[in-house]
Amino acid sequence: MSYFSNITNAVGTLIAGMKVTMGYFVRPREHVTLQYPDEVWPIPTRNIGVGELDAYNTIRSKLTVNIDDCIGCKACERACPVNCIHIDTYKAGPDDDLGITSNGTKKKLLTASFIIDMSECMFCDLCTPPCPEKCITMTPDYQFISNDNLKTDVTPEQRWRDKNLLIYQFSKVSETERQRLKVEAETAARAKAEMMAVKKAAAAKAAEEKAAAAKVAEEKAARAAAEAVAVSKTIQENTKNNTSETLAETNTETVLVSEHGTSAEETTPATDTVTDIPLESISSAVTPEAPSELTADTEVVESPVDHEASTTKESDNG
Amino acid sequence: MIQALANWILSFDILAGLGNPIAWGLSLFVVSALIFAFVAVNAIVLVYFERKVSAFMQVRLGPMRVGKFGSLQTVADALKLLQKEDIIPRSADKILFLIGPWVILVASVVTFAAIPFSDTLLAANMNIGLFYVVSISSIVVLGIVMAGWASNNKWSLYGAMRSAAQIISYEIPVGITLIAVVAVVGSLNLQVIVQAQGGVGNLFHWIPLPLPNWFIFHNPFLFLAAFIYLIGATAEINRTPFDIPESESELVAGFMTEYSGLRWALFFLSEYANATLVAFLVSIVFLGGWQSPFADYAGAQIGFLVITLVAVMWTLYVKAKAQRLSIYPVGISLVITLAAWLFPGFAVWLASPGLFWMLMKVASIIFLLMWFRWTFPRLRVDQLMYVSWKVILPISLVNLMGVAVWMWLTGEIQF
Repeated sequence: MSYFSNITNAVGTLIAGMKVTMGYFVRPREHVTLQYPDEVWPIPTRNIGVGELDAYNTIRSKLTVNIDDCIGCKACERACPVNCIHIDTYKAGPDDDLGITSNGTKKKLLTASFIIDMSECMFCDLCTPPCPEKCITMTPDYQFISNDNLKTDVTPEQRWRDKNLLIYQFSKVSETERQRLKVEAETAARAKAEMMAVKKAAAAKAAEEKAAAAKVAEEKAARAAAEAVAVSKTIQENTKNNTSETLAETNTETVLVSEHGTSAEETTPATDTVTDIPLESISSAVTPEAPSELTADTEVVESPVDHEASTTKESDNG
Repeated sequence: MIQALANWILSFDILAGLGNPIAWGLSLFVVSALIFAFVAVNAIVLVYFERKVSAFMQVRLGPMRVGKFGSLQTVADALKLLQKEDIIPRSADKILFLIGPWVILVASVVTFAAIPFSDTLLAANMNIGLFYVVSISSIVVLGIVMAGWASNNKWSLYGAMRSAAQIISYEIPVGITLIAVVAVVGSLNLQVIVQAQGGVGNLFHWIPLPLPNWFIFHNPFLFLAAFIYLIGATAEINRTPFDIPESESELVAGFMTEYSGLRWALFFLSEYANATLVAFLVSIVFLGGWQSPFADYAGAQIGFLVITLVAVMWTLYVKAKAQRLSIYPVGISLVITLAAWLFPGFAVWLASPGLFWMLMKVASIIFLLMWFRWTFPRLRVDQLMYVSWKVILPISLVNLMGVAVWMWLTGEIQF
């Protein structure tokens, strides 16, 4: 009899299952699908941030800078644990008026470049509290698809694929102006360095002359002293014990010094060989490309750099 | 239909000089192209339909991005498949690997030659139409074994072997249930089978419930036979819950694991062609084919009134249980009922047999197959064999005996 009860049980459970699926089929408006680019999940309204501004009462996501309020103090750049903020500032000339911030602070530095590399940002929110003008803030934009700055014709797909599109330049200074400022600063620095070198050379010359004069004087004094010793030797023949004691003291001191020196020489080169050599090789592979990518923010594909770095690492390991 | 088309071609004065053989060949080509176009378009529509049905049953939305409500998604998929590389594994049996999908496709497309779409739309009116369809459609297993063996892949071979075992097992109960129908009609001609189901009569001849004279309502044994045929046919076309030949969780994709691009698309095409074929056969053999369910225009009016009342009552019942329900079924049936009562011509059209009713029935059966697929869990290999040999085969044999006894008792046939 279990044969027939088995069949009826199977038919009954199959019909029960079909009822369930049909129950969902006739209500197609009740779905769990989120049509992502068209519909987005609501942003949580609870307070996650640590600051006192309203802008903090959201999720921590894309950084934004109100560049009109920035005084170029580089507090955020110093606070960033991953070095994703890169700021270039130039001192304003005596005639330039850079305006004042919304707090009333007079701007003394021209922020020529304010780059945030969001591909390296870890959303720790440590850069916002040090800002004296409260001009760098976290926004709730987690999608990174707004075309508000840098590149206006970038589609979301391109921004997801290309890491360079996540490097944001906030400064309003134009690229040519930035280059001009850079060249100007470089020439000024070079002139200063040359001036300093001239000064230094003069100082060195003066010091040399002084040293030569001192040497001559010293030699004279030494000669005079030797003569004096030679004269006094004959006089102090009897007090030999005293001089032998002082000689012994000086000998022990020199031995101690030499011991210290050898121990230091043994330890430090060993540590250098362990740590420094692989680091140097990696940094030498990275550095030639990295500055151009960050400062010029051109479409430099930096994958070969990564590749080189990884290969050097592998070869070191091997 | 081919001869009719040839006669139509020859009826033009300019083309009359072609002669009958050339006109016949031309019309043969046209009809073949039409059937293949039907199969191809049908697959594209059914894939979209299937994805939407599965999505709604799983509280999802399905394709939504390409076209309005994702309606062009399958067109885009088909275009993508055509462009993809046709990879042949190095250690594959090249010739068998290349012709396997074509054998499957040809076997499933050629069967449509004997399917009557309506009383005139029929490529070949054979007196052994049912036998032809059943026999040709079982050639599919040959192509599956070819593909599975030639792939030189353990998943493919497992899938092909399972498929062969499964199709051979389920051919027997399917054949026996169809024999039960043939016993009632006395003919293997599909057109004769459909013509025998016209009109409206009592349920099982003596229960006073006016229902169409379809074989599913002819007697209780044939009612059961329809469901047995549906189960067996589902297994024959390798659809869930009988999809062990291509079970994704065990064998990667079964016999089509190594295929890509156009050849993979051919498998898909033949899969949906087979599903449509099964739906056609169920409609023709058990649901009256192109016959209308209504005897005359008054019957259509009253019938749709009853359908609307049932839909309204069902909706009210569901609402009383505090569950939500779409109002589309009620709305559609209400609109059709109003149209049937206001415009007698529409009611006459509803009561007349034709392609519309054939396609309606086929669509319903395909929806039923999809409903099965997205509800039932897959059977194990041994369970599959158990269901075939120990459950469905005995029931179908008893059913055949029951049909014979019923026919003898009601005096429809004399010995």
